[in-house]
Amino acid sequence: MIGYGEPQAIGGKLLARPMKTLLAIFAVSLGVMWYRFSAGLGPVSNMTDGFTWGIWEPVNVVVFTGIGAGAYGVGLLCYLLNKGRYHGLVRPAVLAGAICYSLGAASIVVALGRYWNSYWLGVPTLWNLSSALLEVAICVLTYVMVLWVEMLPSFLARISASPSARWKTFGKKWGGRLQQAMPYIIALAILLPTMHQSSLGGLLLIAGPKIHPLWHTALLPTLFLISCLSMGFGAVVVLITILKLTWNVEHDQRLLAEMSRVNAYLLIALVVLRIGDITAGKLWYVGWDLISLLFFVELALFLTPALLFLSHRVKRSRGRLFGASLLAVAAGAVYRVDAYLSVYRPAPGWNYWPSIGEMTVTVGMAALGIAVFILISRMFPVLVVEETATGRPRASESAASR
Amino acid sequence: MIISRRSLLKGAAATGTVTALARCSHARERSGALPEAVGMLYDSTRCIGCRACVTKCKEVNGLPFDRDASGIYDTPTDLSSTTKNIIKVFRNGDNHAFVKQQCMHCVDPACVSVCMMGALHKEGSGKRNYPTERKGTGIVLYDKGTCVGCRYCQIACPFNVPKFQWQEAFPVIAKCEMCWHRRDPSQGEPFAIANPACCEVCPREAVIFGMRASLLAEAKRRIVADPKRYNGRIYGEREGGGTQVLYLAPAGVSFKDLGMPDLPAESSAHFSESVSHAPYLYGITPVALYAAMAFVLRRRKKRDDRLQRGGETKR
Repeated sequence: MIGYGEPQAIGGKLLARPMKTLLAIFAVSLGVMWYRFSAGLGPVSNMTDGFTWGIWEPVNVVVFTGIGAGAYGVGLLCYLLNKGRYHGLVRPAVLAGAICYSLGAASIVVALGRYWNSYWLGVPTLWNLSSALLEVAICVLTYVMVLWVEMLPSFLARISASPSARWKTFGKKWGGRLQQAMPYIIALAILLPTMHQSSLGGLLLIAGPKIHPLWHTALLPTLFLISCLSMGFGAVVVLITILKLTWNVEHDQRLLAEMSRVNAYLLIALVVLRIGDITAGKLWYVGWDLISLLFFVELALFLTPALLFLSHRVKRSRGRLFGASLLAVAAGAVYRVDAYLSVYRPAPGWNYWPSIGEMTVTVGMAALGIAVFILISRMFPVLVVEETATGRPRASESAASR
Repeated sequence: MIISRRSLLKGAAATGTVTALARCSHARERSGALPEAVGMLYDSTRCIGCRACVTKCKEVNGLPFDRDASGIYDTPTDLSSTTKNIIKVFRNGDNHAFVKQQCMHCVDPACVSVCMMGALHKEGSGKRNYPTERKGTGIVLYDKGTCVGCRYCQIACPFNVPKFQWQEAFPVIAKCEMCWHRRDPSQGEPFAIANPACCEVCPREAVIFGMRASLLAEAKRRIVADPKRYNGRIYGEREGGGTQVLYLAPAGVSFKDLGMPDLPAESSAHFSESVSHAPYLYGITPVALYAAMAFVLRRRKKRDDRLQRGGETKR
């Protein structure tokens, strides 16, 4: 961890126009949420007893946490496989992860019918350990806390830099203690996603009679685990590229291309596993219909970024790598939404399309996430900014002009 | 620094080992119906579709009657949060057959397997201590006190039985509890356990209440006594691991025609729990993984710290 650029706060105006726009979008969704809490779920959503989870569970939880799994993926590479070069990516990935997971958890509270009973989840004697959802709930809630603890060094660094001597010693003291505890926290930060991301696939195992056989397989936990890593790596490349363009954040093309090569293997593994799964006795479900088409679209979506990541032209070009990574995120998102929603058929006669209210909440949550990311990176040392020739970071200038 | 082939192989080997372990360990035993289990037997050939059971069910469970937009009484068309029992009809040319839908009280229920804190539980086997409940009856009961309204039960139930109150700010899950609240301890079994109003009110005894074992024997007896009358199968004997509500259908009508899902003999709860529990090895895997990772990370940190200090003193 020596010789890498130090993270720094971006600074700049906090309430610039993009921020105001994001907060306005979130405010609209807050209105919808208020209505949901006072009138019930029916009036704001198109959820029914058949499609009981709507889009909030498949998108706000399953896709958001997939995107947030960048923290897991980068943590695996940097800490467990000891690739110190990835260190600069850890803080932005962990911040994105902390935000995505917090939003997922918050969305669940909105979606829960009897949310006021959730405090019982704190009583282990009540846990039904057979329930995959219980495992997800406990794991995700713990992981949200772990992720924010992983962010604490950034916050403490800012506190240590405060002019007050008292805060300075406080920051230094706790910063040091946290450093000692870090190995134990990081081990937890790798264990928990391994458990709950596979459980997100495991959740669907019991709905066997309702999910199309091309998607329903005992491999669901494995597929979801791999897909979260793939989405996470893709999301980190997308994030770093956007940050490079806005705040001139350090963007090491070779490093990101290297990470994407791992992603290519993950995507290929997904394709191999899924084809292997259907050739073992499910081939006759493949036919000339929309569902089979969807299956092949998914395979193509996995395969395309995989091949792109392995091509030299993509490895060298920032834009191409960005595009391929976006595809990888989209592939994972489509796979997850399909398994939870598109190929889920409770019984004949049920139909579902999300209501405006449901979509507003999803978009509002995403907007809040982006807003929080901007806010924290402006105030706390999270991102490593590239030094310009004069040796002065350009970011604060460009940020201030925003 | 490149991610070496070796580290990737190591990862693959670890995954393989976990999968192999998953294959050979069976984390969950198959459960059968308990001897004390109660149930219902619905004989479609006896049902005349009078819907007395639908009305009586609403009455004894305090459920509102369905009304159309102008406030006139209307008959419900499907199970809902205000209808826990319904009669439907299958029509095929001149042929028709009625079917009754309510909670099947599965022997190994998916809803109970997925319910986070045992809000849906088999009587007497909840996560909380319910002093009035009796173990072994197999009735699937609902406790709103530990329900968070996640609706995973609706995803899991192969019969789409649990229903949610969509129009309520403080909703509950509604489903048939076999009129457990109407049991009368002063009587003998099975009425000391429960007393379903639908069975009590049925004018043709198309649906009867009793111990599951004797109902199963009765169903077999009916088929043997009049084989031409029935399609020869007893739905619920094995379907989805078995249900405590059993069905007989007329000859020429399949259970699929009557809207009953085609389920394998393995319950979905058994399948799901076997697959997802196996890699955990009763909790050993996560603990061992955590310990191993914490050990490696701590050792590495110590080495890094030493290197850093060494570098500083040299300078």
